[in-house]
Amino acid sequence: MKMKTLLLAAMLGTSSAQAGTEITLFRFFGGCSDAYANVTDVTKAVGECGIVQVLTNKFNAENTDGITVKTQSVEWGVYYDRLSANVAGRTPPDIAVMHRSVLPNYQVRNLLLPLGKDFAAVGIDVADFVPAAREGVTANGELWALPFDLHALLWHVNADLFIQAGLVDEQGQPKLPRSPAELMQHAATMKAKTGKAYFAIPSGADPMPSWQYLSWVWQQGGNIVDAQKKEALLESKESREALRLLDALYAAGAANPQHDYAAAQQAFLAGDAAVLVNGTWGVDTYAAQAATAKSGLKNYVVRDMPSLYGREAVWSDSHTWVMPKQPKPDAAKQKAALTFLKFLNDNSLQWARTGHLPVRVSVLQSAPMKALPHRAEYTRTATIATALPPIQYQRALGDLLVNELNSTWLVQKDPDKALADSQRAAASILRRSRRR
Amino acid sequence: MSVQATSVVPVQAPEAGSRNGSLARQRNAVAGYAFLAPFLLFYGVFLLYPFALGLWMSLHDWEIVGDYREYIGFLNYVELWDDPYFWDALKRTLQFAAMTAPAATLLGLVLALALQKPLRIYAALRAVFFASNIFSVTVVTLVWAMVLNPDRGLIANGLRAVGLQPIAFLADKDWAMPALMVTSLWWTAGLPMALFLAGLQQIPPEVYEAARLDKASRWAVLRHITLPALARTTLLVVVLQTVMHLQVFGQPLLMTRGGPANSTRPLVQLIYETSFRDWRSGYASAVSTVLFVLMFGVALLQFRLSRQEGE
Amino acid sequence: MNRTLTDRLILALVVAAAFVWMMPMLWVLTLSLKPNEELVRSTNGIIPWPRTLEHFATLLRVSLTPRWLLNSVVVAVGMTAATLLLSSLAGYAFARIDFPGRRAVFLLVMAGLMVPEQAILVPLHAMFADWELHNTYFSLIAPRLAGPMGVFLMTQFFKAVPRELEEAAELDNAGRFKIFWSVMLPLSRPALTTLGIFTFLFAWNDFLWPVVTATQPEMYTLSVGLGSLQGNFAMSEGLGFLMASAVFASAPMLLLYVVFQRYIVQGIAITGGK
Repeated sequence: MKMKTLLLAAMLGTSSAQAGTEITLFRFFGGCSDAYANVTDVTKAVGECGIVQVLTNKFNAENTDGITVKTQSVEWGVYYDRLSANVAGRTPPDIAVMHRSVLPNYQVRNLLLPLGKDFAAVGIDVADFVPAAREGVTANGELWALPFDLHALLWHVNADLFIQAGLVDEQGQPKLPRSPAELMQHAATMKAKTGKAYFAIPSGADPMPSWQYLSWVWQQGGNIVDAQKKEALLESKESREALRLLDALYAAGAANPQHDYAAAQQAFLAGDAAVLVNGTWGVDTYAAQAATAKSGLKNYVVRDMPSLYGREAVWSDSHTWVMPKQPKPDAAKQKAALTFLKFLNDNSLQWARTGHLPVRVSVLQSAPMKALPHRAEYTRTATIATALPPIQYQRALGDLLVNELNSTWLVQKDPDKALADSQRAAASILRRSRRR
Repeated sequence: MSVQATSVVPVQAPEAGSRNGSLARQRNAVAGYAFLAPFLLFYGVFLLYPFALGLWMSLHDWEIVGDYREYIGFLNYVELWDDPYFWDALKRTLQFAAMTAPAATLLGLVLALALQKPLRIYAALRAVFFASNIFSVTVVTLVWAMVLNPDRGLIANGLRAVGLQPIAFLADKDWAMPALMVTSLWWTAGLPMALFLAGLQQIPPEVYEAARLDKASRWAVLRHITLPALARTTLLVVVLQTVMHLQVFGQPLLMTRGGPANSTRPLVQLIYETSFRDWRSGYASAVSTVLFVLMFGVALLQFRLSRQEGE
Repeated sequence: MNRTLTDRLILALVVAAAFVWMMPMLWVLTLSLKPNEELVRSTNGIIPWPRTLEHFATLLRVSLTPRWLLNSVVVAVGMTAATLLLSSLAGYAFARIDFPGRRAVFLLVMAGLMVPEQAILVPLHAMFADWELHNTYFSLIAPRLAGPMGVFLMTQFFKAVPRELEEAAELDNAGRFKIFWSVMLPLSRPALTTLGIFTFLFAWNDFLWPVVTATQPEMYTLSVGLGSLQGNFAMSEGLGFLMASAVFASAPMLLLYVVFQRYIVQGIAITGGK
């Protein structure tokens, strides 16, 4: 009986689908469909999840083509596992969010639809993309994704604690370190003068420290992979130095190794840490928090990643939207998906409100963009943003780094051994990419 | 995974009729395979074939996504030999089984001994201890992740009530593994208990009667009658529990994700992640083969034991 | 020491232990009945006061949980029915029909007991991907029908049935099937019940294969769905809801357990728990 009803419902479902088109949107950014149920006013949304959810709501409510975007939100930690399981199981979503660093894996295997022509057809102006962003989604002379932002690591700063510790320049602004030694010294001063930790870093099973590490490797002019030879360089002297500095900070108590993402954020918002190492995506959330009366964080400012080793570099990546190849292509769905991508691209500014850097020149230079809070405080990030070269298996390499680097402060694994183990594992991961 | 048989191979049935021997044999052949066909179809397609395919995959660079396949001989096994993650996971899996299986056996034995009486209250208690066994692993991990939660967990509440600092069991490298073991014990201890109860029932009452007449002490009865009589059951339970806990997967996957710092990742999770996260299905198949060999060894042992039992 | 006194002491100890044993479930049940405002303040106590059914209402209204329940029922019932049929057919053949190659085939099938499900997980996934059959009831059920345990049980059972019962029916093969269907199957009700309950329990709690083959939320079973909730929810938010879903998922099993407890415990003794 139940089966019958279900069957009936399924049949009805398909017949009504002809009137409108339903497409699936596969994404991380968190689940907040309840909190923002029926909200279509984008200005009311805060944070990545809120903004993307409300944009989706708005599109569903306002598009005139009868398109319904069905969000499937997956927790960030298992997002790519689920995505690849769906692609491998021949049930890919119509649209998926994908980091630029992951893009090569899918592009090389011919799993994505080329989008250049379609962009032109729906009126997405490719020439408006920042060159770096356009190149990031280009391979073999074709575009494989819609770039949505550039995001990078920032230092989120509690200026009051810097003032209290006397770590200020002539203008009374927080003074950031310019060398590893100075960083250690500042951390000690912070602890002595305020009793608070210099850093809050998500350190448990979080990639944050490895992104800080990568930034420091690049600041020394090194890298962790050789893009030409497709070899890992994890035992280089730059790599050792970057890890040494991280471990020294934890050992000195400048950051709590037990913090996970929520705890680190909490410590910073409660005013218990002077610098939160986190990405651009946190800016509007923290600004909003700092404005509330009961927040322990009163004087919130943002800073570009300071250079400790001469060169300037900071870890960065991009969120892009891709359309996976379907086992049974459906022209209507494809068109609907492109319509939604166009809508997202048009709302680039809204997404940039999270703190991310927009990838459209016209938006970057627009007045409302410049009026967003704290923007003037991290203008260099766009120019110093660095990423791994476009090799495959970056996510596997990333997971590997998280595991190995984090064990040096979580379980006191010997740093040299951790790097040697990473090098060995990275070699067998990259082996396959050398073959094709 | 378990054969507790006395004789595993069917006894030869007497010939139906010797006069029409060949006709009957033909008919029997048709009937036999007709009855077997549905099962053999599934058995062949979903067990024998994938098993062979797994061995074949382990000789390849084989990706779960896309269609990249390349024959590489035994390279996966060579890499396996050098892979510290594999050895860590293997060691951890063996450790987990080696600690959880005896603990579950002991707990099951104690419970069975305490609850073997036929009275209703004992039956109710048996039901309680066995009940946790019927929950799915996701329910069990959900419940225990909450019980062990440092902020609002049951244990944390208790510790706070007596003025102690709550412990982040699942995020602490020294506590995570024991926490998983306790969870697994709670989940599975009903099983050995049931097996021991069955074993206890098979001890002939006359033996106890004789002991009672001899006015033997409770302890003496336990030591000299009950425990020796349970020796076979105990072996069986240990083997079954070992096989079961070698396959541990859901608890670490859902409660610790293999963390903190890789300290709780078992072999099955390594297979799962290598194949479905890292797309290295060939390599994952090589790890699967090792797991198979490991469990084959234990299963052979069990087979031996049950054979002996039958003789 | 006095015997009855020792007995009482042991009983008291075990009762206390049983209480501790039940604590986690009782506590979770309590949490599932408390309103969220209360849970934010405290998770103490095992008496749900004030209490509410809002989490269960939410569960039925907005989440996919009812759909997962339906999937679990379909999978468990389907797997149980198919297992009973396949196993009793095969068991009958092994126990009762003297066909050439019986011994060899039986050994081949029993060898399957040695292959752990994890060893064939990856190739199975590849097979279903090639056939484009992931995310179907077929993919959730079919691989589980290959396990030889049921065949082994039914073979053992049929061998124990006295031969006289079918002696009269040594006619042709049509007759043989009729006898199997109308005499042997009804006879084997106890064995089928045990096997059935076990298969049902196993199907309901199955996790590793479903988590691999069911990648779309609409095809999750309760077990997989619950696992996905665990990842997606911060422990601090929607705690009552999360606990309610745990209660919701285990209630059918508890009910089944209460009704069939005798068979389950008996079955354990026969099969060694698998």
